[in-house]
Amino acid sequence: MALIKVKNVHKVYTLEKAEITAVQDVSLEIQSGERVCLMGPSGSGKSTLLNIIGCVDQASKGDIFIDGEDANKLSDARLSDFRNRTMGFIFQNFNLIPVLSVFENIEYPLLLQHVSSKERKKRVTDLLDKVGLADYGKRSPEKLSGGQRQRVAIARALVTNPKLVIADEPTASLDHATGKIIMGLMVEMNRSAGSTLVFATHDPTVAEFAGRVVSMIDGQVIEDRSRS
Amino acid sequence: MRNLLLAFRNVLRHKRKTLAVLLALIVGLAGMVVFQGFLTEMTHAWRDQSILGGVGHLQVAGKSGYFEDGEFNPYDYPFLQSSQVAAQLAREPGVMAVFPSTGFVAMAGYGEESTSLLIKAYPPERMFFAPNKGVLKAPSDRFSLGTLQAGNAIRPGDRNVLVLGQTLARVLKVGVGDTVTLMAILPGGQLTGRDFVIGGIFTSPQQDNLFGYTDYDTALDFTQITQPPVLDVLLDGVGRVSSVVASLPAGLSFRTWKDLATTYVQVNSLMTNFLTVIRRVILIVTLLILANVMNRVVVERMREWGTLRAMGTKKRDILALVVWEGSLMGALGGVLGIALGFGIAAVINLRGGLQYHQAEQIIQILVRPGLNSMLVNIIPAILVGGAAAFFPGLRAIRLSPAECLRVE
Repeated sequence: MALIKVKNVHKVYTLEKAEITAVQDVSLEIQSGERVCLMGPSGSGKSTLLNIIGCVDQASKGDIFIDGEDANKLSDARLSDFRNRTMGFIFQNFNLIPVLSVFENIEYPLLLQHVSSKERKKRVTDLLDKVGLADYGKRSPEKLSGGQRQRVAIARALVTNPKLVIADEPTASLDHATGKIIMGLMVEMNRSAGSTLVFATHDPTVAEFAGRVVSMIDGQVIEDRSRS
Repeated sequence: MRNLLLAFRNVLRHKRKTLAVLLALIVGLAGMVVFQGFLTEMTHAWRDQSILGGVGHLQVAGKSGYFEDGEFNPYDYPFLQSSQVAAQLAREPGVMAVFPSTGFVAMAGYGEESTSLLIKAYPPERMFFAPNKGVLKAPSDRFSLGTLQAGNAIRPGDRNVLVLGQTLARVLKVGVGDTVTLMAILPGGQLTGRDFVIGGIFTSPQQDNLFGYTDYDTALDFTQITQPPVLDVLLDGVGRVSSVVASLPAGLSFRTWKDLATTYVQVNSLMTNFLTVIRRVILIVTLLILANVMNRVVVERMREWGTLRAMGTKKRDILALVVWEGSLMGALGGVLGIALGFGIAAVINLRGGLQYHQAEQIIQILVRPGLNSMLVNIIPAILVGGAAAFFPGLRAIRLSPAECLRVE
């Protein structure tokens, strides 16, 4: 069974009384363990589709099934729980919580799951080690470089062992070299965790890290190809 | 707990905005605490002045009706068991003094001049006239009846000596050492008269045009009363009144300082209402400032709300986080404002308190904010903080996580 099933999804925004179609009749299936890149220029609808798959936005029309759950039928509170247990998010601007330390940022999703303190410490320490920030746990995110921040974000996304990791332009705020390192780390950690990775980018070099590239223009999928 | 910790750190994170709210709250509440402490002491001083000025904490009469129409007609209200009741009351905790008193209406004459006046009579050791200079420190086991302008107070053993109000002395054109004749009507219409020597002249606002004082035994003898109509009771504080009243033997009639100091009770109530209005104004101003600050904070942190929600934080937890932040700001401002208020009060008191002149005396008022001023100020500050943050909090959860994440 597909982990993600998107069927005839539309997303229409109303901006100053004008209707803007961001996603138009998109259907997609993503299997568990796949590494999928949504690629397209700015305004192509890739981020909107990613948000719908990540259950942080709702489709105007169409069906979304994630891990067998009909996302359209979940209440806001259940959707929050569902996101917490099933998904991890990596954002373009890292979106770390500035009042929390590096350790606390990674720990936060586990607090929502009421994981024991001992287990939280074990998992966060392990991930800090894996992303190469073992000595940075007590630091404030504001004192880290962009690459280091994104490593923290990767650790935070993976700390709950999610089935699905969503990354929206994860390298857009980084220089090319750091971006490549981050993508390599993300793919590697995702592979070892066995989770499904869906990321959006406009950069073809970043898309090379995906096993499958879904190209979008004007809210429509124009190409869906697997990379060997 | 998680929300509280996050809220606390966020309060410290927005230093400038927090400072703006705190300043408003700190200055307002510090002023409030000092003002409240001053007014409380002022009204307490006024209350104690009324009590020790002749009202007493408690007045006990032997027969009912005395307090309605017997005060200046004591013949019909003999307090037969006054000695036993006085002895019993004196044993009660907190009782400073129990003593009889009486009074009568008289006509005073000196040469060509005459005027009517009220004579109040107490045992000499229960009458205190302050010296006319310096800081007033009235003893708490006797009545403070005014400031002595000339002559002496009545001493134990003095008979037929009068301490006369200054205005009355001016009307009669008498001075210390002069002899005035007092005349009064006894029951049955019989007229009695006697010469009294002016032993002293006192001043007291709204008293010295009406009152003269003599010793209790002379008054009994002059009015031919055999039993005291009333006992005055002085206590070490108003808090003792109810327990002393409870110890009174059945069948006696009494009234407390509250029944007598009606103006004080009314003004005190007015002051309390006034303070409440000021406190509300301060809190409303704080509410508006805090609501504005929290609104800006919420808008600036939209992406943070989106991130928290993407990670699985529920709407109600985001709302709670924002409300906690407002409440913490209220609590912080409340604590600091009250601490500052207590500090200012301590400095004022170290410098001798606030002083004002009454006639030629200096009355010292210390600023003593009570512990209750902590509660009445801090709890509303916390509630106002939470209330001010509530609507901005709703704004934080109104948008979808994706919309929040899109905000630049």
